[in-house]
Amino acid sequence: MTQISRKCVLFTPLDRELAKCTVALVTAAGVHRKDQEPFNIADELGDLSFRVIEGDAATSDLMVTHHHYDHTDADRDINVVFPLDILRELKAEGFIGDVAREHAGYMGYTMRLKQMYEETAPAIAEQIDRKSRADVIVLTGG
Amino acid sequence: MRGLPTVLITVSPEVSRQMRPPRAMYPKGFKIGNSLGKPGMKDLQKRVLRDALVQLTEPARPGEIVEREYPEY
Repeated sequence: MTQISRKCVLFTPLDRELAKCTVALVTAAGVHRKDQEPFNIADELGDLSFRVIEGDAATSDLMVTHHHYDHTDADRDINVVFPLDILRELKAEGFIGDVAREHAGYMGYTMRLKQMYEETAPAIAEQIDRKSRADVIVLTGG
Repeated sequence: MRGLPTVLITVSPEVSRQMRPPRAMYPKGFKIGNSLGKPGMKDLQKRVLRDALVQLTEPARPGEIVEREYPEY
């Protein structure tokens, strides 16, 4: 990974103003809907899967499954790692164009970095690209 | 697949820097688990998210992490 990132930085310019952009959130903070399967924290190697979170999901229906950071604050207010409510406010204010139809959460802890980089990350990117109608993505960690 | 512009909000700048993200912002001093600030601090969370989004429109220095200070944190 380090070798790849030393060669070049993949960079996509933004071709429109923010007020016309649809924004998607992708978080490594272990966020998912309460009715989705939690991330597997029993596996010492981590969990390479991700969960799709619909843009109209109620933030009270979201939770965190992640055992490698203190998510007490996120348990009280998920917006500290996954600012979906804030994104909605920015849309209401006209600062952004829209909230994407789909967002993604995964657990950013794994011992299988190669698979995370070569499989999970492209799968999330493809999901967002195909389904979310996003123009830009905001990434957050734990 | 077309490319999609991204901006990372990181609270582990030294870790994130190794991956050389195309655009990234570090809210200085924020703890892990507080990427946007503290619970209930809606105005702060909004400022952080707005500042991160603005990174997408500014002349970029790919691979670098921009630091921002939020004294109210």
